[in-house]
Amino acid sequence: MWWLLLLPVLVFAETASTDEKLVGIFYFKPMFGHVHQSSVKTSASLTTIQCSHPVKVIESSKVSAGPEWAYVQVADYRGFLLKQFLSEKRPDCFQGKYPKFFDAFNLDLSELYYWGRLNDQYIQGETRVK
Amino acid sequence: MINIFRVKLALSSFLITTGLLAQTGKLQEEKELEVVNFKSIKKVLEQDGLTEASKRKAQQVQVLKKEQGKLESGRFMYPTESELWGFVSEYWLVKNAQLLNWDFEKPDYALERSFSSTMENLGFYQKKFKILLVNTPSLVKASIPGDNELIFLLSVPFIKSLDLSKLEISLLLFEEFIRLEMGYFKKNVATEKMSKLAGSNFQGGKPDLSMVEELLKNYTSQINQKGYTFQQQFELTKKVDAYLKSSPELWNTYFRLLGKIDRFVKSNTQYKDYVKLYPSPEMQVKWLSPPEKVL
Repeated sequence: MWWLLLLPVLVFAETASTDEKLVGIFYFKPMFGHVHQSSVKTSASLTTIQCSHPVKVIESSKVSAGPEWAYVQVADYRGFLLKQFLSEKRPDCFQGKYPKFFDAFNLDLSELYYWGRLNDQYIQGETRVK
Repeated sequence: MINIFRVKLALSSFLITTGLLAQTGKLQEEKELEVVNFKSIKKVLEQDGLTEASKRKAQQVQVLKKEQGKLESGRFMYPTESELWGFVSEYWLVKNAQLLNWDFEKPDYALERSFSSTMENLGFYQKKFKILLVNTPSLVKASIPGDNELIFLLSVPFIKSLDLSKLEISLLLFEEFIRLEMGYFKKNVATEKMSKLAGSNFQGGKPDLSMVEELLKNYTSQINQKGYTFQQQFELTKKVDAYLKSSPELWNTYFRLLGKIDRFVKSNTQYKDYVKLYPSPEMQVKWLSPPEKVL
């Protein structure tokens, strides 16, 4: 009868695994960016990624990302990215187009960090088509 | 009859022997050559269309080799001029992150909507822009080129000190947009090296990064020290005036804004450099004012 005690745990585990859905694989568009700890632009960075990096977008009933943010998994990290930075197709990246020129700058960690922050801090817009 | 038969037999045996001799008379090397020499089976190959296929294959290999060469050479390209402006502008912002202090929690001024709406009211469509708010009084405003987009820098302490409305901020940005469109920034900052190297190839060598270093220096000097001339400011003011004339509300707000800035920078030592960089709000007000009638 002891296994009856484990039953709720097993049922819960089953629900938890079905709670999550993989929306798809998307690609990061800006030159550099941060996977955020929470869905706030100024929240801490879990990891820095660069243009064209594939990210798994996850839908989970337990995580509320807000309309502008996507809940993502990048390597072992799970965090948040602005939806406007994601593309279904692999983007045409500056560092991919001009690899030898870009590599020559040998950007340090601080520069990579700030470049990612820069994309978070911009207020971006486009006037509409007439 | 028997004689005729004998003659025929002798003739046919002669022919058979000659034929056999002719067949076996080839040198071993000749036979080997026949095996190696595809000419001997050329007809068969032609009939099967194999020669054509082999020609096509050779052409494909050549095309692929050419493409591969192009790709390899493309890896050693300098970006185009537009891409270079975008890259250098952002690199300059990254390099000056601490000085400009743009990495901070900002108030939501809803600038994206108000600036878009002002631009659209004035007839400017499909313009991509990025606004970066900085938390320093040492840089009031600036517009720098992006890759097919506009990058605006705007000081939050300045906005707060002047208590600017959304419309006033949008007009300040609009003035910066026109300044960038008039090409003054690029003209003041660009170098010969940049125009020479942009879009070219450096295969077999290293990229000349001194070109970017020079541009970064010019950015700093233009934004913090050099600024714009009276002539450039006059032309800019007249252009903004022309665009805003169709909308009296916007024109009046712009006119009042210049007066507000003039009074503020004159009374606040923290902003004493503003007049040197953007000469001058007082003159701008004069240029916009209707000529006084002499009685």
